[in-house]
Amino acid sequence: MRIAVCLKQVPDPTTVEVDPLTAALDARRLLYIAGPADTAALEVALQLAGAEGHVSALCVGPPAADAVLRQALAAGAAEARRLWAPFLPLQSPAQTALLLAAALQRGETPDLVLCGARSSDHGSGQVPALLAEFLDWPVVCDVTQITVEGGLARVQRRLDRGAREELEVPLPAALAVEAGIARLRHASLTGLMRAERAAIPVSELDDLGLEPADLAFPAPTARMVTPPRPRTRPIFTPDSTRPAHERITQIITAGVTRKSGKVLEGPPEQMADVLVEFLRERGFV
Amino acid sequence: MAFLSKEASLALVQRVHRLIGMKNGVTPHDAPQRRRQRSAPRPGAERFDVIVVGAGPAGSAAALVAARAGLKVLLLERGEYPGSKNVSGAAFYGSAILHELIPNWWEQAPVERHLTRRVLAFMTAETSVAIDFRTTRFAEPPYNGFSILRPRFDRWFADQAVAAGAFLLNAAVVDEVLWEDDQVVGVRVRRDEGDLRADVVIACDGANSFLAKNAGLQREFHAHEMSLGVKEVLALDEATIRERFHLYDNDGLAIEYIGAITEEVSGGGFLYTNRDSLSLGVIGQISSLAEHRRRPYELLETFKRHPSVAPLVRGGRVREYSAHIIPEAGWNMLPKLYTGGMLVAGDAAALCFVAGLYLEGINYAIQSGIAAGETAVAAHRERDFSARSLARYLERLRARYVLTDFANYRHAPGLVNSPRLQNLYPELIAGAAEQVFRVNGGPKRKLLPIALDTLRRANISPIHMLQDAWQAGRSFGW
Repeated sequence: MRIAVCLKQVPDPTTVEVDPLTAALDARRLLYIAGPADTAALEVALQLAGAEGHVSALCVGPPAADAVLRQALAAGAAEARRLWAPFLPLQSPAQTALLLAAALQRGETPDLVLCGARSSDHGSGQVPALLAEFLDWPVVCDVTQITVEGGLARVQRRLDRGAREELEVPLPAALAVEAGIARLRHASLTGLMRAERAAIPVSELDDLGLEPADLAFPAPTARMVTPPRPRTRPIFTPDSTRPAHERITQIITAGVTRKSGKVLEGPPEQMADVLVEFLRERGFV
Repeated sequence: MAFLSKEASLALVQRVHRLIGMKNGVTPHDAPQRRRQRSAPRPGAERFDVIVVGAGPAGSAAALVAARAGLKVLLLERGEYPGSKNVSGAAFYGSAILHELIPNWWEQAPVERHLTRRVLAFMTAETSVAIDFRTTRFAEPPYNGFSILRPRFDRWFADQAVAAGAFLLNAAVVDEVLWEDDQVVGVRVRRDEGDLRADVVIACDGANSFLAKNAGLQREFHAHEMSLGVKEVLALDEATIRERFHLYDNDGLAIEYIGAITEEVSGGGFLYTNRDSLSLGVIGQISSLAEHRRRPYELLETFKRHPSVAPLVRGGRVREYSAHIIPEAGWNMLPKLYTGGMLVAGDAAALCFVAGLYLEGINYAIQSGIAAGETAVAAHRERDFSARSLARYLERLRARYVLTDFANYRHAPGLVNSPRLQNLYPELIAGAAEQVFRVNGGPKRKLLPIALDTLRRANISPIHMLQDAWQAGRSFGW
């Protein structure tokens, strides 16, 4: 079975530093790695392919992204290819998906394409679906389990509130794998050395048969929506005329006093007096 | 770089204690060397001319020298990239040495500031007396020293070795050396199919070298031979650093502190200026940390609160917190530096020069790395990798003044860590200085009576004084 895995280099969260004043990221300190969902996808691919299968890794990114592809080669991927358009700002998921689709359509078509469900930096989670759209393949997102039988993939998909959905998908298909469903294997020394020595081929637009104009997707119109200010809620302040211990009790109970009745005792005239006084105090009489 | 919490730093101390075989502050006597199971490499292991373990300054220097001579060199690094595991006060005094290897290296390397000002400060709890040395002559190429940030510097240096043709492999932890007869013939990496063969293995795997011990070249350490350094990097903007430390442009400053900075613990403090940050830290002898039940981060906090340090670090934001062990005993803990098929260099060979006045290691690491590289090249020329052939490593180390320096200063670590030098003498110097400078309406006394008075009040026996004077003379004087 031929499987292609799409990887993305994302900043290592432990190297992310935010300037407290400007809220800007300190880009000089960032180191890049493959995201957790991507490494899970790679491991699943290697497991599904087994010894006879063929796993190829793809990555859209600058030359530094070779490190991510080398990691895939070290773990056991048979080939790796980096896709890049050097002088174009590649930003939108659609552009990434188009490059990947173009690369997948050239050469031998894989039976299965695995992606991470969402990257750990932008995390829009759109690339797998867009990629399937460009390839005109079926896609399943948020996949937590995959078994392949014949020309059919049986997958489990994560729904809300812990629910799972089981689906059957005809191959070829694109699957977006959730982070954490598999842990990438420890590369062998031979694999690591092979990966270090491998030259990573780069495909640019010409090689993929694309024009810069193909990547000019209409800019998505985004409108900043800020949640409305929450309604102000009065903060309870204790009655300043009360003694300290009572005020403290009031603060602790946040002003909530338990409803309590009062049972009067004594001769009827006295009880009537107290009752009238009580009503007068509260302005009923 | 990893950010260590205070709990983590305590855990690190405990781990260090375990590592060096110390229980509850009591050091064990030399355990008899176990005869280790020696394994041979599996057939089919890839072969190199030289394998260098550890891509620090020593390892990269050795790999660079060997690769330039056309050998097939493999440089193994434990971390994700060279320098990722490194902690250093990051004052590098080996500029001239590196210049010999890479001419005008400072033009391309990630250096912070060239050090033109050195301060040696004696501290008591409230006072400090300092010798402040400053020269513009250290601001001219090839410079005397630089402050550097090790993660960046080590990465650059390893890249030079790679450019010369060495093959760098990151994330490779070496588990043991492999033997055939009595000859080291390779290493085993902690991965599947991890055996590698080499004619010469150069161990540059840092303080507490696992490889040197594994090969039976180094004994277990005593707690008093090792120190724990904890370091912080504080971010501070460039202009503030220049003003605060009276520096021009890219000049830099290195301060070494002796005395009450580490309280009753033997050790010292340091502060170096980087381009837009400060590296500062304290170093404490592990045995005395354990004896006085002090945690290193407490010492660092005390250090930062000291009246002569606090204004220097004010407003600095902590960028990194890290800790590392430092082999301090110098000459007395040097391992056997070679055996058939193997050489030891850098901190792995305990080539760390800690002697009060001096706090140097990177320069000796590079010197020994070069010497090891050259020895490997010479051995390849003659196709002789026996212990006898590699013994010429020692001659090279002597020719580079590495072994001679350590031999000459062999008494210094003991003296520097003695309680009188650590606490009493700084106290006396500071006390006397205070009497000289204080004006309180009394008679102005001359220096000799002040000195005699100070000594009398210190209650130190003349014999001890003489002993220390002799020790100091023997360590630093002649």
